[in-house]
Amino acid sequence: MSIELLLALITGAALFGVGVYGALSQTNLVMIMMGVELMLAGAMVNLVAFWRYLHPDNPAGQMFVLIIMTVMAIEMAVGFGVAIARFRAKGSVEMEEAAELKG
Amino acid sequence: MFFIGFFGLAAVWFGIVVFRTFSMVRSALALLFSQTALGAMFLSMQAEFLGVLQIMMMATEMSIMAIFMVMFMMDPGGLGEMDMTHQKRLSLGAGIVSFVAAVAVAVFVDWGPVATVVPDAAQQTIDLGLELLGRSMLIFETAGITILTAMIAATAVAIQPGANSTTSHRRRPVSTNNPLDSGMRRNDER
Repeated sequence: MSIELLLALITGAALFGVGVYGALSQTNLVMIMMGVELMLAGAMVNLVAFWRYLHPDNPAGQMFVLIIMTVMAIEMAVGFGVAIARFRAKGSVEMEEAAELKG
Repeated sequence: MFFIGFFGLAAVWFGIVVFRTFSMVRSALALLFSQTALGAMFLSMQAEFLGVLQIMMMATEMSIMAIFMVMFMMDPGGLGEMDMTHQKRLSLGAGIVSFVAAVAVAVFVDWGPVATVVPDAAQQTIDLGLELLGRSMLIFETAGITILTAMIAATAVAIQPGANSTTSHRRRPVSTNNPLDSGMRRNDER
């Protein structure tokens, strides 16, 4: 296995780990979204590395990266919509105060 | 290889800074730098289109995020050094376990032969365009429709309940002296 592929995969793993920590440890909705963004970024690095080092002749690998970018944009749009609604209703986007949303 | 390692390290470092600083604006900027470093990493992996797209998209996305940070946070400057975390030990454990598991998969799986030749940037863009408008067209169109739906849904959620509705209980009292209000009432009565 090439060192470049390993470096890219380790970078993706580290970004995913940092994102998991952020998404679980933060109490603010916007900070939680930042954690999710980092997790998606980790997945994106892996996809680009797989395309570049394993199947550069197949553009479907790049297409998957575009799908991840779409998911990031959707997460931002919906997350900020929820944040605005929450802030308007309760004056805060602290998720510890949102226990009533539990099912 | 040097640039891949350097930009990868920068992306991870700025990703860690996101959760270490008290200032929310600095957090958003650190995330912007992390994503930009990833874009530079894509460029050094010869994925030119994706690298440029990543940098352009994330620059706008993180700028919007910084604005929302200032709007919603109690202490966006971080001067009060408020601790806005919980279950730190569990989160740290989960982060480390997921990192170790992903690295173990990366190291121990046999990924097969590594390609050395990559199509040039123009050919990559042509191939991607043909892929998006050919074999993967349904997926691409579905992504577009999903973004549109998410935008409409986010706007619908964010609109103040009854802001433009004439049936809401939050409607302000109609004044007959205000021509705008009387016009609204006439519209209501029709």
